[in-house]
Amino acid sequence: MTATEQTEPAGTDPVKRRREARRAAAARARRTGAPLRHRIITLSLLCVAALYFLVPVYWLGVSSTKSSADLFGTFGLWFSDPQPLDHLRDLVTYDDGIYLRWFANSLLYAGVGAAVATVLSAAAGYALAKYQFRGREAVFNIVLAGVLIPGTALALPLYLLFSEVGMANTYWAVLVPSVVSPFGVYLCRIYAAASVPDSLLEAARIDGAGEGKIFRVLALRLMSPALVTVFLFQFVHIWNNFFLPLVMLSDSKLYPITLGLSSWQGYADRQPVLYQLTVGGAFVSVLPLMVLMVVLQRYWRTGLTEGSLKS
Amino acid sequence: MAPARTPTRTRTRTRQRSRQRVTAPRNRAAAGFLLPFCLLFLACFIAPIGYALYQSMLKVERTGALGLGSETQVFAGLSNYTHALEDDRFVAGFGRVLLFGAVQVPVMILLATVLALLLESASARGVVFFRAAFFLPYGVPGVIASILWGFLYVPGISPLVDVLHGAGWEVDFLSDGTLLWSIANIVLWQFTGYNMLVLISQLKAVPGDLYEAARIDGANAWQVAWRIKLPLMRPALVLTTVFSIIGTLQLFSEPLVLRPLTGNVDTGYTPNLHAYDEAFKSNNYHGAAAEAVLLALVACVLSFGFLRLVGRSGKGDDR
Amino acid sequence: MTEVSTSRRTLLTASAATAAGLTLGACGSEDKSDTATERKPGEKITLMFWTWVPGIEKAVALWNKKNPDVQVKVEKVSPTNSAQYAKMHAALKAGNPPDLAQVEYQNIAEFLLDKGLLNLADHGAAEYRSKFVGWQWEQVVYDGGVYAIPQASGPMGMFYRHDLFRKWDIEPPATWDDYETAAKQIRKSGAYIGTFPASSGGWIASVAWQAGAQWFRTEGEKWIVGIDGEATRKVLTFWEGLVRGKLVKTIPVTQSAWYADIQSGDIVNWIGAQWGDALIKGNAPDTAGKWRAAPMPQWERGADASSNWGGSTTAVFTGAEHPKDAVDFAVWLNTDPESIDLLIKGGYGWPAAKQGFQGSSLDEASEFFDGQRYNEVFAASDKAVDTSWKWGPTTVPMFQHLTDELTEAMNGNASFTDAIGKVQKLVMDDMKEKGLKVEAA
Repeated sequence: MTATEQTEPAGTDPVKRRREARRAAAARARRTGAPLRHRIITLSLLCVAALYFLVPVYWLGVSSTKSSADLFGTFGLWFSDPQPLDHLRDLVTYDDGIYLRWFANSLLYAGVGAAVATVLSAAAGYALAKYQFRGREAVFNIVLAGVLIPGTALALPLYLLFSEVGMANTYWAVLVPSVVSPFGVYLCRIYAAASVPDSLLEAARIDGAGEGKIFRVLALRLMSPALVTVFLFQFVHIWNNFFLPLVMLSDSKLYPITLGLSSWQGYADRQPVLYQLTVGGAFVSVLPLMVLMVVLQRYWRTGLTEGSLKS
Repeated sequence: MAPARTPTRTRTRTRQRSRQRVTAPRNRAAAGFLLPFCLLFLACFIAPIGYALYQSMLKVERTGALGLGSETQVFAGLSNYTHALEDDRFVAGFGRVLLFGAVQVPVMILLATVLALLLESASARGVVFFRAAFFLPYGVPGVIASILWGFLYVPGISPLVDVLHGAGWEVDFLSDGTLLWSIANIVLWQFTGYNMLVLISQLKAVPGDLYEAARIDGANAWQVAWRIKLPLMRPALVLTTVFSIIGTLQLFSEPLVLRPLTGNVDTGYTPNLHAYDEAFKSNNYHGAAAEAVLLALVACVLSFGFLRLVGRSGKGDDR
Repeated sequence: MTEVSTSRRTLLTASAATAAGLTLGACGSEDKSDTATERKPGEKITLMFWTWVPGIEKAVALWNKKNPDVQVKVEKVSPTNSAQYAKMHAALKAGNPPDLAQVEYQNIAEFLLDKGLLNLADHGAAEYRSKFVGWQWEQVVYDGGVYAIPQASGPMGMFYRHDLFRKWDIEPPATWDDYETAAKQIRKSGAYIGTFPASSGGWIASVAWQAGAQWFRTEGEKWIVGIDGEATRKVLTFWEGLVRGKLVKTIPVTQSAWYADIQSGDIVNWIGAQWGDALIKGNAPDTAGKWRAAPMPQWERGADASSNWGGSTTAVFTGAEHPKDAVDFAVWLNTDPESIDLLIKGGYGWPAAKQGFQGSSLDEASEFFDGQRYNEVFAASDKAVDTSWKWGPTTVPMFQHLTDELTEAMNGNASFTDAIGKVQKLVMDDMKEKGLKVEAA
């Protein structure tokens, strides 16, 4: 691996801004100048790709308005007697509104888990970047190894362990493992090393600020772009996680939405209405996340390039 | 991996002494910052691995024909490991995910690279729309993506099969030969956009002047992409590839969700699925622990191996 | 959140308490002061019940109305690919299983190995013996203990599309030879007579059962395994011929593709159990009036051999705090005429309770089945089941082996009889792995 590079902290550096403006202008000039043939080829390729990525989502949207019988009996890419509101009501009232409970559980697991993971990662990453102590590299290397171990290989042993101490099938069983993000620590360390200047810390110390206060007031603010990335990354990771809740939870009241929907799907052959609810529930559940993803996509960019790619 | 910043050794005695005075509270602070994470890391990473190692070396012995007699846990040595490695289906599962990874990961990275370069090229239009469209599936969890694609694979329901049938092409997405690639498609659909975004961000971090200079030197768009942009994307390519390798070994929810739809998902379809079945269908927790350990081991070896590989060739490039 | 953790703790305490006598294993909790005792008068309790019988919540609601102190909460679990048992085993291991669960006859021995079921004879279950059909009661008795309350069986028969068979001038097949002939005729019309569901181990066992196979028996301390026997080989060779001749599909049954096929008329016949009626009605509502039922095809013309597919009990898991109340509920659920009526409507199978058929809604003409009193077919089938059939202690992995090996055979060149030989070996390995003494028949 190449050496860690120093990068400027993301911010409002006027030189950088001017350079960016110049670059944008150049890009505009270049675009208008691209030959028509190139533009047509590029556009058609992009359209084909968009079709591939969007058609399944479109299918899900169309199907969420269908009854189970129409799901099997009518052409999949077009509407048939759409009753979105009725289906939505069925969805949220089925089994005493268990769907909403699953949704809330997912929010709880992903929201709380990601928030705590971010704070823990920030503190650990900052300590690893800005303090010299014995065993620092050893700790960091172990954490790095943690990044490389697949979560599902850990889930089974964790389940056995948690069963032993009576923690399986509780909210904690999913929450506790979710707050540990080795990748977050890794990202935070790299980012802190690059964006929190030592001189600033020394100055704060001379002013008499305690270490805790320096971290809270100075470091966290300077690290905030990376923190947003860690939060988002972990949020999506927990939201999408299936194996851990699958092995940990047997009480359906504790299920996150992914597990809930797959349990509906599994039972649908006995209760056909569940096909309709599974498809509708899937559509409703992915909507907010997809919107969130698209709106926040720039945070994926900033954090990941500024930090992780420097290793 | 990341090198330590070697502290400069040109310090005077006085500074050293004053430093010792301040390091004590600072060490305490560092410990305070590290401790919460480290404790949880210990509980959720180190302890389960240790516990799995311990459990994997035990087995159950029973008395009485129906097992209604007593049962005891006895030391089994490595017999759970040999048993796992002698299980053809478990081993075949590794072969299958490796094949999957060897094909799916390059295809996905290639597609992500092409899309990133297209979107960043001079001739692209509607960049914001397309980028969002490609990234959208990342918001769909794997299980839900599998349920969704499951519907699109099942004959009689899938409009895809209908359309292809109409075009005179009979295709069975769930047959023995096609299933693995149908699963690969689900993963491709979900993650290409994400990888593309990482690559784009890497491209954006490159000063535009560089492209400008190349253009003035007479390089065409293709040459700029191939000679300049691609090498610059290398770190991002390494990152996405490592994550994809890890993701491949975790393959579980896709085959699990598709399993009821076809008999072709056998118990060892992926190592993860085998470990799950071993634990909860055969109730052999000791065997399952051994399989989890083997899985973690293979994942580490592969990821580290890849990192070393690119690390070495990377140094060569730098020179 | 508090609610959840409290119930967890109470369950833990209870399971630890029961475990004291049963060596269930460490459950963490040490305060085992209270054992599973009788409910104090007036005390309100809630029993958790995992099941997959469609519409069972109606019967449970009736119980809840009549028994305000003992409320039962139903949770539906997926029976696909044994997912429900994976969930139950996981919950048992974690130390917080539900109080009651639907467990098929075929899986009882498996849970006994895991020390998962309470011996209900300790809670007064033995006295209910006379309320149940003899052979179904025998299925829940192991080593003198009563480990579940019988619920229903699944006598086999044949559902077929009466309208299409008449249109094509095909008689419902009376023998397996007729079945093959009919399969060829139906193929000429572009449809299929059925599918060979390799992923449905219970179905494969039931067709072998009809031919006189005996997969398991015990001899003293030993298990005798006879999966790879003559009867099973005969049956599978027959189906292999149909599969290789492309006379049947090979898709899984009771899954979306199969439902689409029976709805569209692409599949026109189903060798299925009595509880299948509800599945056809529920998933192919547009085919109402077009189906009829007939007996299972025979190996010998004029014989009346039959078998069973599925068949469930209501079991009480170790850890249940109020086993007496759980037994009361399980007995009521499976013997009360009103409850049985509701369960029949949901499609739970053939009642295990005596006098379950006569006068019940099973004994009526059905419009969906073309006005036929179709359950008379299954009443006769139920009487003809060879009740000496026994299940082994590793049914879930055994079904998985059947699926794996038969699918592999279908995809390649290995014969079905080779596959069944491998299954026998794998099952015996599994049993040895569990520390049991095993021998091939």
